Amino acid sequence: MLSYSIRRFAEMILTLFIIATATFFLLAAVPGDPLTERVEKLPPQIRQNLYEKYGLNKPLLERYVITMRGLAVGNFGESIVYPGQTVQSILQEKLPASARLGIQQMVLGIGIGMILGIIAAMKKNTWLDYGIITLAILFISIPHLIFGLLLQKIFAGELGWFPVIGWPKGKDLWTGGWQYTILPTLAGCFSYIAAYSRLLKTSMLDVVNQEYILTAESKGLSKMHIVLKHVLRNSLIPVITNLPMSIAMCITGSFFIERIFSIPGVGMYYVLSVNERDLPLIMGQTVILSIIYIVVIFITDILYTVVDPRISIQGGRR
Amino acid sequence: MKKLLEVRNLHVSYHTYAGEVQSVRGVSFDVHDGETLAIVGESGCGKSVTARSIMGLIKAPFGEIKTGSELRYCGEDMRAFDAKKWAHYRGGEASIIFQDALAALNPTMKIGKQITENITVHEHIKKKEANERAESLLHQVGIPDAKQKMNSYPHQLSGGMRQRVMIAIAFACNPKLLIADEPTTALDVTIQAQILDMIRSLQREKNTSVILITHDLGIVANIATRILIMYSGKVVEKGTSEEIFYHPVHPYTKALLRAIPKLTDPSKGPLYSISGHPPDLIDPPQGCPFAARCPHCMNVCVEAHPEDFDCGAGHTAACWLLHPLARHIGSEVE
Amino acid sequence: MELTNISFKKYRGRRLDPDQLAGHSVTYWKDVWRRIRKNPTAVLSLAALMIILTLSVIGPIISGHDLSTINPKRANMNPSAENWFGTDNLGRDLFTRVWYGARASVIVALVCTLIQTVVGCLYGGIMAHFGGWVDEVMMRVIELITSMPTLLITILTMMVLGNGMTALLVAMSITSWCGTARLIRGQIMQLRESEYVLAAVALGASPFWVILRHLIPNTFGLLMLTIATSIPDYIFTEAGLSFLGIGLQPPNTSLGVLISIGQQTMDFFPIQLLFPALILCVLVLAFNLLGDGLRDALDPRLRQ
Repeated sequence: MLSYSIRRFAEMILTLFIIATATFFLLAAVPGDPLTERVEKLPPQIRQNLYEKYGLNKPLLERYVITMRGLAVGNFGESIVYPGQTVQSILQEKLPASARLGIQQMVLGIGIGMILGIIAAMKKNTWLDYGIITLAILFISIPHLIFGLLLQKIFAGELGWFPVIGWPKGKDLWTGGWQYTILPTLAGCFSYIAAYSRLLKTSMLDVVNQEYILTAESKGLSKMHIVLKHVLRNSLIPVITNLPMSIAMCITGSFFIERIFSIPGVGMYYVLSVNERDLPLIMGQTVILSIIYIVVIFITDILYTVVDPRISIQGGRR
Repeated sequence: MKKLLEVRNLHVSYHTYAGEVQSVRGVSFDVHDGETLAIVGESGCGKSVTARSIMGLIKAPFGEIKTGSELRYCGEDMRAFDAKKWAHYRGGEASIIFQDALAALNPTMKIGKQITENITVHEHIKKKEANERAESLLHQVGIPDAKQKMNSYPHQLSGGMRQRVMIAIAFACNPKLLIADEPTTALDVTIQAQILDMIRSLQREKNTSVILITHDLGIVANIATRILIMYSGKVVEKGTSEEIFYHPVHPYTKALLRAIPKLTDPSKGPLYSISGHPPDLIDPPQGCPFAARCPHCMNVCVEAHPEDFDCGAGHTAACWLLHPLARHIGSEVE
Repeated sequence: MELTNISFKKYRGRRLDPDQLAGHSVTYWKDVWRRIRKNPTAVLSLAALMIILTLSVIGPIISGHDLSTINPKRANMNPSAENWFGTDNLGRDLFTRVWYGARASVIVALVCTLIQTVVGCLYGGIMAHFGGWVDEVMMRVIELITSMPTLLITILTMMVLGNGMTALLVAMSITSWCGTARLIRGQIMQLRESEYVLAAVALGASPFWVILRHLIPNTFGLLMLTIATSIPDYIFTEAGLSFLGIGLQPPNTSLGVLISIGQQTMDFFPIQLLFPALILCVLVLAFNLLGDGLRDALDPRLRQ
């Protein structure tokens, strides 16, 4: 277990290193540099100073070494678009909003999705099943952004039940200001409901056809007992497999939802910094999001072994 | 002897995309107290479907027990069982052992739990008591360090051990009826005998009736009281073990017996095999299903299905060769 | 039936060959096609898809309007006999623009799917063919690419390559081939292990024959499924990128571009958002339902 963890950790660091390197050189290949537009009207001397400040006058490889050295100690550098602010301070400010939105979406979405999936599987070939599955396909076919716009237009715009834009700040950051968070959470959670209800239904039906379910039935166990004790745990593998995808979905979704509802989170600022060519900020956010993603992949691997005793950690890569 | 189970005119169909597969087409038999009935036939002959019908494991909308089929347990109509009766019957009165124990045991549940859940559902005893009972059961079926194995998962045991666990589960609540659906097919020959012996000794100890389902006529010789030969969803011959082995009348039974390899066989020729395949059960032939493979096929065989002819001593066979008109032309047949 | 002595004469007629008797041999693909046709949702979505695709080809022609003719006098009109979907803020005919945009979205999705399939098949084929360290290294590359959220890679690539059509195609397919490559590799490996292929090879079948006879029929279904589910994904991503201002931008047209323009005027003229959004949803829905029907048809076991 320990040696496995160490090996996995080393692998994760290596992956991150390669991602950071690739991102750095990709960004270096972007035509023009982030200062071009800003410094055009400035006197040459100040222009020169600015270039030196961000190290953009140095050769590429030296800049690479400086960036990577900074990353190693958690120093992402200073933002270009927001002078005087370090990337860390910006991330510290933006991450909680995104994190709360993401957690709320996933808990609500995966929870409801799984319950609906169980219902659909247990009541298969009834109207309830057809209804749930139709709804799921419908939800999957409506992009985040259209769903977000729709909810905003109807519940905030027409009915005025919720504020159109905004996000709780200060002491409300994590637990208050629910009226702000309800619409964005709903807009995001539908894709989880759709994905997980379908996934769990298919997987449960697959398990129900296994012979050990016949054994369980031949023991005279009640239907509820069989579903809870035998079917569910065995159906969880595909659900776990889907976890990293859900995190990716969460990140993708945040790009749209944060933009629609003007939520000051990483998703919105990633797009802003891309449009503004704020290289250090892009770099920092890319690395942070990748770390989150890689950690989730790791957790997924651990969860497999918890759910299914046949999968052993020592097995390493599947 | 008392009749434990009565099966009359059982018809079971599966609805598939290709059409209605008539897996079982009018099977009738009884199981008496404490006896061992062997149901023998090749794969796809409907023997497993018959077993599942008795356990109530034929599921709508794909599987269907046709109206007119009768299943009686201790004289009670099983087709009228409600959920509560079924729950009591399954596991409590009757239990089943499947062929592939690896597939039939839940891979993510400890084997101890898989035995005790059976016990706690049927007998309201404490968890600790159930655990002790499960442990002694494991010991009884010949599993060493039972206490430790209670916490194992099925994949950690060998094939023979897993089948022993299945047997422990099946006997957990002292059922009156045990259905063993090809219990030894997936096992090594050496372990086969041990498993069969164990089923037999547990059966004697608890006076359980056993329905042993197999495709291997060789293994039932010492065990079965009576034998039922099935072919393409129908019973072609039934009788006591001696009758079937020493006086088989149906050509299919004879072929099955010839297909058992014998060490004492003096001829060095190839092993006997029955050529061809069983008929398609989506569109079964109107005549005898074995006609297409039968060495003695007569005109009547392709036209009409033979009725059961009585050969005395409870021995019956469904073959036109037993018809009085066929008897006196027997010489031509042989 | 009357039984006579003749009934018990030895049967001399033709006995059905048991091999012919066993099983109705309907070929797999005929069966799949039959199952799709019997599935009303799949047929309906196929029909919807056909209508949308046809309109996206002939829509701009039958509307009688030009894609980019500006007419300020007729700006922001509601749907009428003249402009069936109304006009946008510059007085351009929305019917023309929406179908033109749908055409662009579908073409982008199809080209990306094509790239994904070709690259994936080649990459997967090479992995499986060479095996050993080549396979190991190439698998590592895939693992690396898939250990980063896809959209980030797409956005970064778009940054480097700019907002053009080519850039969009490259950026969207840069990660997507990984899944296909894995699928193809897995299928080839599995086939190589399977006994009937071993038998075919042992009997002297050429590798070409093995691929033709075994690999393609076995993989085709799964590949079709991947393609059917990839297309709506691409349509989504394209729309999303345009909305974020990273994908195609005006004067280019696509459903995404139209939606992002529509969003700006959403509060006053919701019609301008409604039509492109509606068509996007119906298009994606049709593809998803068709993919679902295909999955059911390929694997009837799942329907049980």
